[in-house]
Amino acid sequence: MAISRATVTVVLSALACVAALFASGCRKAVEPQSAIAIEYGISPQPVRVGPVAITVKLRDAAGEPVPGARVNLEADMSHPGMAPVFGEVREVTPGRYQGSLEFAMPGDWVILIHVTLPDGRKLERQVSVPGVTAN
Amino acid sequence: MQVPGLRRLFHWRHLRTVLQIPLLIVSVAMILDGLLGPSLAPKNLATTLSWVHFRGTLVLVLLCAGNFFCLACPFMLVRNVARRFFNPRLNWPQRLRNKWLSVGLFALILFCYEDFSLWSSPWWTAWLIVGYFLAVLVVDGLFKHASFCKFVCPIGQFNFVASTISPLEVKVRDLDVCDSCGTKDCIRGRRAPGAELVVIQRGCELALFQPLKVGNMDCTFCLDCVHACPHDNIGILSRLPASELMVDPRRSGIGRFSQRKDLAAMAIVFSFGALLNAFGMVSPVYVLESWLAEILHVNSKAPVLGVLFALFLVLEPAVLLGLAAWLTQIWGGSRRALVPLAVRYTYGLVPLGFGMWLAHYSFHFLTGLYTLVPVIQSALARVGWTLFGSPRWTLLGIPIRYVQPLEIGFLVLGLAGSLLVIHQLAESDCAERPLRAFVPWAAVSVVLWLAAMWMMFQPMDMRGTFLAG
Repeated sequence: MAISRATVTVVLSALACVAALFASGCRKAVEPQSAIAIEYGISPQPVRVGPVAITVKLRDAAGEPVPGARVNLEADMSHPGMAPVFGEVREVTPGRYQGSLEFAMPGDWVILIHVTLPDGRKLERQVSVPGVTAN
Repeated sequence: MQVPGLRRLFHWRHLRTVLQIPLLIVSVAMILDGLLGPSLAPKNLATTLSWVHFRGTLVLVLLCAGNFFCLACPFMLVRNVARRFFNPRLNWPQRLRNKWLSVGLFALILFCYEDFSLWSSPWWTAWLIVGYFLAVLVVDGLFKHASFCKFVCPIGQFNFVASTISPLEVKVRDLDVCDSCGTKDCIRGRRAPGAELVVIQRGCELALFQPLKVGNMDCTFCLDCVHACPHDNIGILSRLPASELMVDPRRSGIGRFSQRKDLAAMAIVFSFGALLNAFGMVSPVYVLESWLAEILHVNSKAPVLGVLFALFLVLEPAVLLGLAAWLTQIWGGSRRALVPLAVRYTYGLVPLGFGMWLAHYSFHFLTGLYTLVPVIQSALARVGWTLFGSPRWTLLGIPIRYVQPLEIGFLVLGLAGSLLVIHQLAESDCAERPLRAFVPWAAVSVVLWLAAMWMMFQPMDMRGTFLAG
């Protein structure tokens, strides 16, 4: 049985919409690069369930340390619906911050480093920690 | 069972649309948040709602009531709107009038879930929902009736199989009324007076003729038959859960279960897939996957998963069910050939499979019940609506120590259901030696149940990346 022109039109329109959506990328616009670099370190390696030490270094565009920032740590599992963990961070030397997190379960984790600069600007860095293993 | 007010509610013509609209709005919000929102799954509506709340609610509603998700399916709302503007002219191809395509799609979705880590990707989850809407529009745009629901939709097939365990069913109140009915509107649709070609209320689009319909298989609870029946003789009625698996009459729109290899294959993917899907989230799977990757000399996930799926969805069922069928033949004295015997008893594993899906999905749902609150708060805040304050990411759900006994209860219930169904099948199949026919299939059920219980007590590993290096 022949397919009606209306059917073809609708199907083709739907496909065109999808193509347009794909072409547009459907992604959030990339935010402009911050002038502040957030470096991090996690120990011990490889990462296992239990406490880990997190070191965060903040540097400005000139490579100078950024002191006086407020840094918070949050870790989520890659699977939704699981308990996030939070960590306290304190500044140990100017621009160098240290804290800890406790991974409660094996699996893929993502650490969010939330930074509030002394001038009130907020930055965030997402760090993937795949394959945290059981002790 | 009669609940006051429900009969009137189910007869309300706009009930389905009223249920579908909120789900459509939620689906659109999930798509937008999945594509444009945070990339971290626990903070995104698409992943949290899909993989925690939707799946959990779905299995609990199927357990406690029936296939009400298909009733409220938002994809069908879009399809119904689209069909106001164009009418499909084609009939679904004869060769595809079975469940083989949907069996493949169901297994493919389980495979993609693992391979693309769908649970952790809002972007892929959003595209999965978009893909669903498009597939519905294309299939039901080209083909008449509810071709997508009956022959394609993997969620629908899951619901059809699971709803065989449900306590509610759309069925005829009094068969004598049907015998005297001259119009058969429940299947033909109600026609406009004096205009035989004008359908004012469609009948069952899934070819289920109510007087001959048995059970929930292929029933979307769309209530078209309820609205079409001129005698108010069809309703949502209570019944013994899983009773439809214990009998093998000729069913309208389906035929006999024992003659449907495709349906049995769906029951296999449903039951063994439940275990495989749960196996993917316990620590031992990574040892097995790493070992397979090593002996296969591969660094990517897909070939390893391919081997695992072939092992657990094809080889394992073939060996276990083949062995049980052979033992039933020689011990029980069944006159059926090996394959028809295996097909007949495979449906007995459905309650156990459903118990495993229930245990798994309700675990995520109950332990992450309140995580929806901060995710919604966060999504609203992103569009500038901060009425509900800052997201409370510490909100979780019911503690694991309370949920775990419930999970064990679901598995025990599943095993009990399977044993009951198998016993009934054995009694009607081998009236002289039912116990001998029962034992091999009961043994298969117990083996699968032990595997499920073993998984339940394994250290949970929230789907770590086994090839992380």
